Amino acid sequence: MPRHIKIGLIVFGIGGAIAMGFFVDIVGRVRSMVNERETEENPFKPPAQPLYAPTDPPMTVKIFFPAASGDSLLVAEDQTIFKSAEIANRARQILQKIQEGPGRDTMLAPLPKEAKVQDLFISEQGTAFIDFSDAMATAHPGGILNELTTIYSIVDSLTYNLPEIKQVKILIGGVEKETLAGHCLLLLPLEMDLSITNVIPHEEKTAQLK
Amino acid sequence: MRAARIGIPLAALGAALFIFGGLMHAADTSIPIYFPNSKLIVKAETFNRATYVPIKEIIEFMGVPYTDALALETLTLRSGNSRLLMTKNSALMSYNNQILLLPSPILREEGRWLAPIEFLTIGLTRLTGTEFRYRPGTPRIFADNVDSPELEMNAQTLGPITRLTLRCSVPLKLDLKRDNQRAILAIDRPALDPVRERLDHRDRMVRSIAFDDSDGDAKIILDLTRDVTDMRLTAADNNRVFFLDLLTKKEPVTEAAPPPVPTPAPAAKPDVIPAQRKVRVVVIDPGHGGMDTGAKSASMVEKDFTLVFARKLRTALQTRLGPTVLLTRDSDVALDNEARSAVANNNQANLFISLHAGYSANKLDDGSSVFVMKDNFGQAFTTAAAGGRDQLFLPWYLGYRIHHQASVSAANVLQEELSKAIPGSKFAVRTAPLAVLSSATMPSVLLEIGNFNNPVNAQTLADDGFQKTLADALVNAILRFSQSPQAAN
Repeated sequence: MPRHIKIGLIVFGIGGAIAMGFFVDIVGRVRSMVNERETEENPFKPPAQPLYAPTDPPMTVKIFFPAASGDSLLVAEDQTIFKSAEIANRARQILQKIQEGPGRDTMLAPLPKEAKVQDLFISEQGTAFIDFSDAMATAHPGGILNELTTIYSIVDSLTYNLPEIKQVKILIGGVEKETLAGHCLLLLPLEMDLSITNVIPHEEKTAQLK
Repeated sequence: MRAARIGIPLAALGAALFIFGGLMHAADTSIPIYFPNSKLIVKAETFNRATYVPIKEIIEFMGVPYTDALALETLTLRSGNSRLLMTKNSALMSYNNQILLLPSPILREEGRWLAPIEFLTIGLTRLTGTEFRYRPGTPRIFADNVDSPELEMNAQTLGPITRLTLRCSVPLKLDLKRDNQRAILAIDRPALDPVRERLDHRDRMVRSIAFDDSDGDAKIILDLTRDVTDMRLTAADNNRVFFLDLLTKKEPVTEAAPPPVPTPAPAAKPDVIPAQRKVRVVVIDPGHGGMDTGAKSASMVEKDFTLVFARKLRTALQTRLGPTVLLTRDSDVALDNEARSAVANNNQANLFISLHAGYSANKLDDGSSVFVMKDNFGQAFTTAAAGGRDQLFLPWYLGYRIHHQASVSAANVLQEELSKAIPGSKFAVRTAPLAVLSSATMPSVLLEIGNFNNPVNAQTLADDGFQKTLADALVNAILRFSQSPQAAN
């Protein structure tokens, strides 16, 4: 066999081997992606418990949504949830209502559509820890007022309707974040602030009635 | 033959390096060890980049009994029933028959036992119960519960003068002496812990600034140039803050050094700007930057708008008022919130303005907001954590509280001037828990202008004439604020 054919065959062989290796790697990558997806979906996740029992009575709550216009940044809308035995389940129902958005055009949706509540936990001291998915920060459109209304829509809706919750600590993607989208601090638990809403605090209302 | 002639010396050199390389020796330095009521200066030596301290000098000073067995080449320290045994050229020590490992071997040089600095914490602390603290790379050691307040140094060129600012959590007594091209600022306080050993600052007045306590007496040594004809030392905040100004005769200084007052930042600010104007350093923060684009409109991103407008505001301010104006970023770089307020804090700014563009889901909205930090943010949490006790140190995010009232005044002035300059637009003063304002220790506001989601509004914001009007309104507001009594509070 001529020498140049031999060299050509060797070069071809090496090229083929590299291509095979690359192909094998691609297969590996695809496999790992599939595995990752399986892990993300978490096949061992326990079945979701119902947030309330059929016998639980209904209760009216005020859900605070960003105002489309006007002086108040947040406007309350009356909605109905069920008075489940566990406060955490009532809080989850309120968060569901916030996620669903307002029923009127005069208000805006406070959370990005992609944002999900991953977990909720209420401490003995009355601090509600809410863990949102990463989309809460990554899909947020930005703007300080937007960020402020997103945060206080959650904080005010929970603390106003559930007196057992004194303050709210927001986590993103399972960890503590300095800010939601670069502006508003999330390092400390936040307390109710009705000064940016159209609702009078409970205490002032009681004082007025007297 | 020729190869052998070259090879043999090379091999000999290699062998020498192999044998003696382990003992590569650098210059000696004096290290003070601060004990609660006394101090010991030891000669530290560097072998193979490891710092070694003389064991016997330290244990004799501490009164620890020992046996130096010359024949066995061991050193045994005793305290009560405990025993610490060390052997020459070994990194292993025996403490009550338990093996301890040092990062480098113990040496015995000309009758001196030398141990790597880690010996203090690994060996001596176990034996005597005395704790030793040192930061790697710093030439001082603190023993037991000796109080070691941090000393912060900062130097900056402020037009015709160079200012060295010193801050400490405890009151200090300073004595300034000059010897030709050298100035020595002696500090009458032992066991200081400087944040930086030397400052990377060099200008026409000063060549180097370094902290030195190698003889146990803390001092700052300044290597001056011939341009320095006078020096002025001013104290503030009950002798916790000092300003050392380096002056030259060519530049007239119109204002005398103010007397010490309790508030550190704005009080002692001698400068060449007229006395009635209290805002001498303004820090402007163009929001976002780098990967963080901020809000987006059809034609612009927030990070570009804020940078362009910040530069215009800087020019307008310098032309009309003449203060020192610094930008937290002057290019498209990402900065975290703490770094932004640190620029203002480190430069002793009298006013901090963060610039942002708004974004509302409502496309018709065109309002703007002037933000100040939310009043009492973090207070309840901090008070609860303190358990009713007086807190000596406050969390950094509570820095805003010092000048909160002044911030509100600045925001109100800003609102008035903006409403006057741009009639028909709303400028509301609002409060929010804003990260960039939380740790700013001077009057600080955040301006969020317009709505990037409103196409007409976004176009107006990009307009050069509108930006000039906006900058002029802000300059008017800063001028008014700088003449108000709140500016000094």
